[in-house]
Amino acid sequence: MIFPVRLRNSRKLRIVTFAFSALLFGGLSPLAARAQFLHPKITSKEVTVRKIVILPAKVDVVRDSMKGPEGMAAESEELSGRVERAVAGVLGDQKHINTLSAPASSPASADAQGKYTVADIQTKFDELLAKVMKKRKDVKKGRFSMGDEVLNLNVDKTADAIVFIRGRGQKLTSGKKTFVMLVGGMPAYLIMQIGIVDAHTGDLLVYTDPVFAGDPTTAVDRLRKALEKGFKKLPAISQ
Amino acid sequence: MSSLSILKRGRSLIIRLFCVSLLTSVCGVGPKGTATAALLRQDQTQTTIKPQSPANEEFKFEKVDLELLEQVNLLDRRFEREGLVLDDQATVAYLNRVGKSLLPRGLKLENVSWNFRALRDPQPNAFALPNGSIYVSTGLLALMDNESQLAAILAHELTHVLRRHSYLQNRSNRKKFLTMNIIAAVGAYAPGGVAGAVITIATAVAPFIVIATMYGYSRDLEREADLKGIDMMLAAEYPPEEMVNVMRLLNKDIEGENIRFFYNDHPALDERIKYLSSYLGARADVVTPQMELNREKAAYFRKMEPAMRHDIQLSINGGRFRSAVFLADRLVDFYPDSENLFWLAEAYRTLGPRTEQLAEKELTNSAKKDAAKKREKRTVEEEERELLATPAGQENWKLHEKKAEELYLQATTRENPVAVAHRGLGMLYEKLGRSNEAVTEYQKYLELAPAALDRERIQKHVEALRRTP
Repeated sequence: MIFPVRLRNSRKLRIVTFAFSALLFGGLSPLAARAQFLHPKITSKEVTVRKIVILPAKVDVVRDSMKGPEGMAAESEELSGRVERAVAGVLGDQKHINTLSAPASSPASADAQGKYTVADIQTKFDELLAKVMKKRKDVKKGRFSMGDEVLNLNVDKTADAIVFIRGRGQKLTSGKKTFVMLVGGMPAYLIMQIGIVDAHTGDLLVYTDPVFAGDPTTAVDRLRKALEKGFKKLPAISQ
Repeated sequence: MSSLSILKRGRSLIIRLFCVSLLTSVCGVGPKGTATAALLRQDQTQTTIKPQSPANEEFKFEKVDLELLEQVNLLDRRFEREGLVLDDQATVAYLNRVGKSLLPRGLKLENVSWNFRALRDPQPNAFALPNGSIYVSTGLLALMDNESQLAAILAHELTHVLRRHSYLQNRSNRKKFLTMNIIAAVGAYAPGGVAGAVITIATAVAPFIVIATMYGYSRDLEREADLKGIDMMLAAEYPPEEMVNVMRLLNKDIEGENIRFFYNDHPALDERIKYLSSYLGARADVVTPQMELNREKAAYFRKMEPAMRHDIQLSINGGRFRSAVFLADRLVDFYPDSENLFWLAEAYRTLGPRTEQLAEKELTNSAKKDAAKKREKRTVEEEERELLATPAGQENWKLHEKKAEELYLQATTRENPVAVAHRGLGMLYEKLGRSNEAVTEYQKYLELAPAALDRERIQKHVEALRRTP
């Protein structure tokens, strides 16, 4: 027996059942933005993000089969580019934010020092991200910053913010799909972690982690919708 | 135990089974460990190499191996593209010379192309990919004392490739039900910084390979690589006892962290030192003039100086301040020119209120765990603020800022002074609230290095300092 007898057919039961169903539906919904946190400078409109530079995204997916996960290096590379473009598209269309070209966007031609600088800043973000994940709510307190070392990237002087994108996901083989349906387990998904950092001070202005269920290598619409949800709280700039 | 009692204890048994399987696969202990223990007892009297893997000529490529090879080739390209490989031609040429000198002449292996590279990673580590790419971290290059120690590391890694350990481990892992869980566990223990980045990439590109190449193969395969490595060193006239010495170096725990890479864990370093010493026996008595040359510290330092300096910067970036001081101090001892003095000054300035060395009580397992938990949560700035609020922290900071200032000043007055020493002084004075002096030093830096990458950043510091009363 799940509920006590006295609750049966009562209003309380209906409320509890509704709440439970809503939770279940929410959890299994193919589109869900898990959290969005804004720095007080954004909420108080002390800082407005009008122009951004997106650093190369690092999105990795694996193919999960019955024999375990297999790498998808080429697909991950392609997906990284797609997520980068989707973020630029969503921020442009919904929030009217312009995306400027990134430093050393063609790493093959970039000099070693420039490549190291980008790599080191990306690493610094990864280190900060680990701390952010421990207490994401503290973004609202303005606790996290990468410091003014971000200036070493020498991005376009008009840029207000730098966007860092991380992601991981998995697609399932048909065998694994059947297994998941019968026995349970993680479905195909993509989870992204996106940080928007002040290009002058290094403060983490926005943190969001959109997620969607579905094959990350093909679900283009779901990716866009998840990103739209993910940036919902970010105020749009007036044109 | 009856099946009924197993069911009753189901939950705890599953947990125990999981832990045992995890250890068996990742560390090579458990049932296999018992066999190893017996082997080790045998080692006390006589140690011989018992090949655990087929000789390379016996290896036949299967579909699964070719798939792994394809992913690994992409991994190489990705390391390079993401700026994780040190792009210094002299260092790469040196690594290739030492690495290739260990290989038997005329050896050709199917699907292997030898490439020796330095990885921009302050954590001491090395790993080999089955396609013949061998990576040694700058953290390890900076820690070693001579070319023979480098040869010891490379010989160990070469054996993994020659004996196709990655492919064998990959085939074996794919058969194991719990591999998924192992990978999840590996991911959870991935360290931060560049090392973390490397593991994250490897986990995504070739999930199975990450366990073997970066966290260690099975204990037997590691042992085979160690012992075969000694033979390769002897054949190339490198003093084989340096293999033991490099293990001792790796045992140093400057940062008080549990490095979960195989040099520490697979098998335990103490155990490896023991069986390696036993295997060396009379082999260590042979000394040739070439061996003496290969043991020379100065020659190695001259070749590795750029990589060592680079590693100090990476150590500082990665919050490994004690390592930075240790390595910079070694460099200044070797050659106290203005650049090396600058790096030692940088190391002391960024060490700030921390102690230069960890106390014994900070090196206990529980203390290390506590410190690791704090590191996960606190930012470097928060840690510094907390320490500066204590009398001990203030005392350390006073001592270190004084040392840093002296070293910066020496770096600016020596022959061929480096411009960055003025920037360092500026940062030190800014932190000490000596605004005017900070502005003067920053300006000197900007005059001497007009094309510096951090020009804009320093100019902003100057503007901010001028605004402050």
